Amino acid sequence: MARGGVHRPPVRSFELPNGLRVRLAPVAESPTASVWVWYRVGSKNEHPGITGASHWVEHMLFEGSPRYAKGAIDRAVLKVGGELNAFTDTDFTAYFTTVPREHLSLPLDIESDRMTRAAITDREVARERTVIHSEREGNENWPEFRVEEELFQLAFRVHPYRWDALGRRHDIETMSAEQLREYYRRFYGPRNAALVVAGGFDPAKTEAEVRRRFSALPAWGEDVSVAEEEPAPAGERRSTLSGPGTTPYVQVGWRSPALTDPSTPATLIVDTVLGGESRIFSAGMGWRGRREHPTARLYRALVDKGLAVRATSGWSPRCYPSLFTVQAQAAAGVSLDRLEHAIESVVRRLARDGPSAREMSDVRARIRRGAALAYEGATSIGFRVGLFSTLRSLELEDELYRELLRVTAAEVREQAQKLFRADARVVVRYEPSGEAGDA
Amino acid sequence: MRETTDPRFIEYGQDLDGLTVARQAPPAGTASFSATYIGPGGWGFDPGSKSGVARVVSQLLTSGTERQSRASLARTLDRAGATLASDCAPESAEVTIWGPSADWEKLLEILAEVVVTPRFAVADLQRVRRQLLERQLRELSQPASRAEYELFRAIYPEGHPYRSTGLGDRRSVVRLTPEHLRRFHRDRYTRNGSLLLVTVPAAFGTVESAVRRSFAELPDGRTPELRFPPVRSTRPRIVKVDLPGRSQVELRIGGDSIARSDPEYPAAFLANEILGGRAQLSRLFQRVRERGGLVYHASSELEAMRYGGYFEVGAGTGADRWRKVADQLTNELARIGERSPTTAELRMVRESSVGELPLSLESTADAHEIALETAYHRLPGDYLLRWPALLRAVRPRDVRRAAETAMDRDHAVTVLAGPLDTSVP
Repeated sequence: MARGGVHRPPVRSFELPNGLRVRLAPVAESPTASVWVWYRVGSKNEHPGITGASHWVEHMLFEGSPRYAKGAIDRAVLKVGGELNAFTDTDFTAYFTTVPREHLSLPLDIESDRMTRAAITDREVARERTVIHSEREGNENWPEFRVEEELFQLAFRVHPYRWDALGRRHDIETMSAEQLREYYRRFYGPRNAALVVAGGFDPAKTEAEVRRRFSALPAWGEDVSVAEEEPAPAGERRSTLSGPGTTPYVQVGWRSPALTDPSTPATLIVDTVLGGESRIFSAGMGWRGRREHPTARLYRALVDKGLAVRATSGWSPRCYPSLFTVQAQAAAGVSLDRLEHAIESVVRRLARDGPSAREMSDVRARIRRGAALAYEGATSIGFRVGLFSTLRSLELEDELYRELLRVTAAEVREQAQKLFRADARVVVRYEPSGEAGDA
Repeated sequence: MRETTDPRFIEYGQDLDGLTVARQAPPAGTASFSATYIGPGGWGFDPGSKSGVARVVSQLLTSGTERQSRASLARTLDRAGATLASDCAPESAEVTIWGPSADWEKLLEILAEVVVTPRFAVADLQRVRRQLLERQLRELSQPASRAEYELFRAIYPEGHPYRSTGLGDRRSVVRLTPEHLRRFHRDRYTRNGSLLLVTVPAAFGTVESAVRRSFAELPDGRTPELRFPPVRSTRPRIVKVDLPGRSQVELRIGGDSIARSDPEYPAAFLANEILGGRAQLSRLFQRVRERGGLVYHASSELEAMRYGGYFEVGAGTGADRWRKVADQLTNELARIGERSPTTAELRMVRESSVGELPLSLESTADAHEIALETAYHRLPGDYLLRWPALLRAVRPRDVRRAAETAMDRDHAVTVLAGPLDTSVP
């Protein structure tokens, strides 16, 4: 508890001979137990033709395995009052099941059954195709989704970060069941997985059960590292989309370093100074969403000044160089030129002057707050332990916490100078067409 | 005593001059505290010519106090390790603070300051106004929100509190002044009809004293009443809104329903869970997504409030599939009201609902949320403990009968919003 200021319960880590990394985080008084399996497989491991395969496999892992016929996983978990879900990102896919603690064996059985033996039948793949198509259509209704997809497509020409985890429309329409099975056989297995058990359980008994259920699984899981390197950008890239919407919207991206880069803590501070809440140290599973913060620079310069109705920045540490983004929705009557100019002024000022002492103090207060209460409930514990274990290691969280409190204003300024280069900028604008939506 | 440590139990005190104080123990092993003020500041109380005022007041509660500007309040919260959130609904408005339990008395004082002495600065009003005007456009532009907007307008008559989504109309929102906000706040954020729920590891007497101290300046006010014009039962209708250029059609089928205090609520709750509320176990998920492969999401909701409620069945699907999906949603809605579920189906859904209670008590924030729902409806302190028995007393025929009343398909409205013109004939 409270190691380095991160209020994480003690975690017992071990690895099975087949490569499965196991993390047990017992909380004696917890009425629930949460089981997470994190695969280091995500859209980064796909290629054109099978974009969206990780996400599709995520769906298929609920559609049948030797001991659980189609629909049986859902029924078994929900019947005991549990909840379950999964999500796919660029660098990982995570599955979780939280149950009343006396039912812990159920999710362990499910995960051991589907880790290497999911059925992925032709019939179920065909049926799921429309479901996935529908999920994508739902996202396409939002201009923000379309803009972000375009932004990454524009920014990356070689690296797999150029497509969204949902996959391209055409690939969803054409990918075969055999392609999905091949993808699953290659990458899914103990060697690419971390199993996290958090909440109310007896650690010795659970360790024995984990060993019994998972040790016999084959040591599958090919190398998931990505060989393609994106060349350095040689100038600004921009594009404009149009379609239904309310007011103009813009997203600007700059090439950003990978998680392993020593500048990661400084980049996280840049993100917090510009955007608001700490992305890493916030309560619950706030990995992608974030709350507005009235002291954030973008908010003050754009929303308070009447140029935008929403404005924030975004940076999630990733395994490979990615994008640092700023996005803003214009207030009525404000042009995208004006909005873009204001964004540029904000980031340039940060690169020129760095954050103030007060801002550094505010940001540190937010980080401390987030770290103190981020670990409440078995599900949140499983999420955080799994996330850091997958991104690199559990110690990453402690290191980041210490570094975030240590980074100086000068280092943040220096990092802002490196990030916000005009020749590394990508801009996607969205111009709403027509009326807001009357028939 | 079990009541003082079991988060399923809510202790109520005597009204403090109209303000009801309730206390819940946090889940074991948690280190946070949560408190919510909830009172009759919902948009059902918007004066006719000032639609949107409740929403603006609610949003501005977190934007500073007489003593602290918005930035200063944000810094106070950051340093206290706390988070503040406000929200409003047709009948009520609420403000919640969440932070470390070690400093709960200090945080309660911050909550009181926010509720009792909001700033309503002109610049903040202008900001929220701009945001609200954009949200009004978004509500009409997005198929999902547009479908809900049209559904409520089709179900409820003019002047009914559930008819709008609280965003107000443009004409009214642009004319709101700080004085309008102050007047609404003065009339609606009062002791009478309000509740303060505190989830904290402290004895009730200590909590009550702290509330008495912190909220001493909350005015008495008078208990306001909502006006409910009669909802006329009509034949099933279809409302179509063509939104060209979107990818997906959103469907909603809904109607007027029962209040939370209705004796049939437990049976109606289970009817909704069987139909579409219990995620993957529900009929809608099974039929429309799992077997039909037609949608990503299909679900139903029973929103039982203090004075009434509504139900809705919803799904989003491609422009080429919406007719088939609409048929399936309609058929399932009809089936739940026509035939009793089997004993096995009822048992599975019921035990799932009973079993999830521990998951609702994982964190202080989770536990606080279900206690707030219980306390707002003035349900007994041991209601969450008795909830499993209430559900287990429901028989299959009770479910059918409750569905007939609470999810009346004969008077339901169907709304379609999305790219309808590109659909197959």
